[in-house]
Amino acid sequence: MRLELQPRPGEHLADLLFAAGVEFPCGGESNCGGCRVRVVAGHVPATSQMREVISEEDLAAGWRLACTAESTGPVTVEIEQWTASILTDDQSVALEPRNGFGAVVDLGTTTLVVQLVDLATGEVLGVETALNPQARYGADVMSRIQYDLQHPGVLTDLIRRELGAMLRRLTQEDVLEEILLVGNTAMHHLFCGLSVEPLASVPFESPTLGAVSFKAADLDWPGPATFLPNLGGFVGSDLLAGIVATGLDESPAPVALFDIGTNGEIVMGSRAGIVCASTAAGPAFEGGRISKGMRAGSGAIDSVHPVNGAFECRVIGGVDPRGICGSGLVDAAAAARELDIVQPNGRVTTPGREVLLAPGVALSQGDLRELQLAKGAMAAGLKMLAHPKPERLYLAGAFGNYVRQASATSIGLLPGNCPVEPVGNSALRGARMLLLSPTARLQRLNRLLERTAHVELAADPAFQDLFAESMLLAPFTLP
Amino acid sequence: MADLQKLYDAVLNGDQKAAIAVTEQALAEGITPLDLITNYMVPAMDEVGRRFECEDYFVPELLLSARAMKGSLTLIRPLLTASGIEPAGRVAIGTVKGDLHDIGKNLVASMLEGGGFEVIDLGADVPPEKFIDAIQNKGVRVVALSALLTVTMPSMRKTIDALKEAGVRDQVKVMVGGAPVTQQFAEEIGADGYSDNANAAVALARKLVAEGAPA
Repeated sequence: MRLELQPRPGEHLADLLFAAGVEFPCGGESNCGGCRVRVVAGHVPATSQMREVISEEDLAAGWRLACTAESTGPVTVEIEQWTASILTDDQSVALEPRNGFGAVVDLGTTTLVVQLVDLATGEVLGVETALNPQARYGADVMSRIQYDLQHPGVLTDLIRRELGAMLRRLTQEDVLEEILLVGNTAMHHLFCGLSVEPLASVPFESPTLGAVSFKAADLDWPGPATFLPNLGGFVGSDLLAGIVATGLDESPAPVALFDIGTNGEIVMGSRAGIVCASTAAGPAFEGGRISKGMRAGSGAIDSVHPVNGAFECRVIGGVDPRGICGSGLVDAAAAARELDIVQPNGRVTTPGREVLLAPGVALSQGDLRELQLAKGAMAAGLKMLAHPKPERLYLAGAFGNYVRQASATSIGLLPGNCPVEPVGNSALRGARMLLLSPTARLQRLNRLLERTAHVELAADPAFQDLFAESMLLAPFTLP
Repeated sequence: MADLQKLYDAVLNGDQKAAIAVTEQALAEGITPLDLITNYMVPAMDEVGRRFECEDYFVPELLLSARAMKGSLTLIRPLLTASGIEPAGRVAIGTVKGDLHDIGKNLVASMLEGGGFEVIDLGADVPPEKFIDAIQNKGVRVVALSALLTVTMPSMRKTIDALKEAGVRDQVKVMVGGAPVTQQFAEEIGADGYSDNANAAVALARKLVAEGAPA
């Protein structure tokens, strides 16, 4: 994301950057480097503090710390947002050694992660993360699809160029043997330049769900690339890779994989067969459509406990609170239920109809409703697919990694009678496992795809009742 | 004697079983269907709507109340038809072609029924021809279109255009709604009205009927 700023006399560029949403993870102490921005036009002097945390090379490329940035003239900066909270993965995985280097790409709707991998050792040699540049054309997949229908090709170009630049930053001059990409169906279609028309209306089943391969020259990338196949509907290869990472397709007992996000996904099954579905939860878990909602950055309340009848909040960066992130929201709802400020049906009982968490940060009645819709959609999706009851529930993604399970269970986002295990960025890990097993890969994927069925939840009349019932802020169990 | 206050309470609290039981008893005792609807069920649904507006109630409560009322209406409707009582107006409602989401549409349909309208629910993923058929053959005065996705909003425009082409657009009022729909969009595509929630949709439908599609 690029920002054009012009500080007036007496104004600090750092304040303008903060106001524009750049977060200072260490609270502006200029010692963590988490608020790096790249100056692409204008002059921002490098200070001695910046020289301590940024290499000469990066300083020369325009990198500065936002928290101590000053300028007297107009500047254009590129924000390296999300760096701190993008989940990567470096767990060691099984490997068929071969020579050379490869890369895996987690092409998310919001964030991008690229890993450079040594194919001989399986070691992760480098990581690049960035915001998906398509985000300025819409936060969710539906608005991207809409944009692509009106402006064909723009988003395809944008993402190919951004990922190409990230790959080249990792490889320098080196050539890659192979690059594997994973992402949801919309990201797959937009990257591959396929028509998104089938994803724009019922039954949301595209005829082009399969893997797509490119030569290096097709993309002007450092190596040939393959976008792995989708599972069905909007459930893409990120979940396919998640299945591989968790071994769900080889599990003798039924297990579930739950990816909580704007577009929630549920995969349920065992080696005998797999069903998957997606459910539109909305952006509440990412702080979206919540009045004081924000991402998990400096100033965000990320955890709330009820202590002696009051709320005790933890704030990222130890600064004054200025908002609340997804995990904080789930905690706050659970705490407010415990203090009986919010009823099970979501009604706030305080006179002002709001839950005051900390000075300046309160949840409104509307915020609780957004949370109810989001968690209701996720829980209803799980209830639809969880037959028989899974022996374990794997939680994929950043939110799953940070949410407090006790809170998620008490408000009925997660079931109370099923062990839950966060698995981090299972999409990236699964992609790396597939990259490192070139001969076994095809067979495993084919077998997996053959046994996987996609279910359209909205088409089932039972979904409406389950959805309504699942909006209660109360624990539930799977039968 | 049936305690009719219990019918009001059953609808307000979303208790379908109780609603049906009281209705059965009341009808057996010879209380008129119109009395039940106008003096108990409509006021109860009005109160449900009021509680929704002031955020005491939310989607689940609305669904439960609508279900309770529906239970009662299934007993009452055949009697109404038999006695030739005219509804407040006849509305054809549906989620437009390409869109499967019908929770919002179902809510609006139930609230309209609660408001005394006769509702012809065409379901989800409804092609324009079905709306045209309802206008031509079922005496519909209001057409209500729902869409939940940004990508299916153009389908609303296509539906309205199809009504024009079929020459029936002037016979009805068209109202639109759904999460991504806005007043501005409603005006752009030539709809007569827009509502951003199920409760306001009832008032809108009443207003549109009063403005009067030609009888």
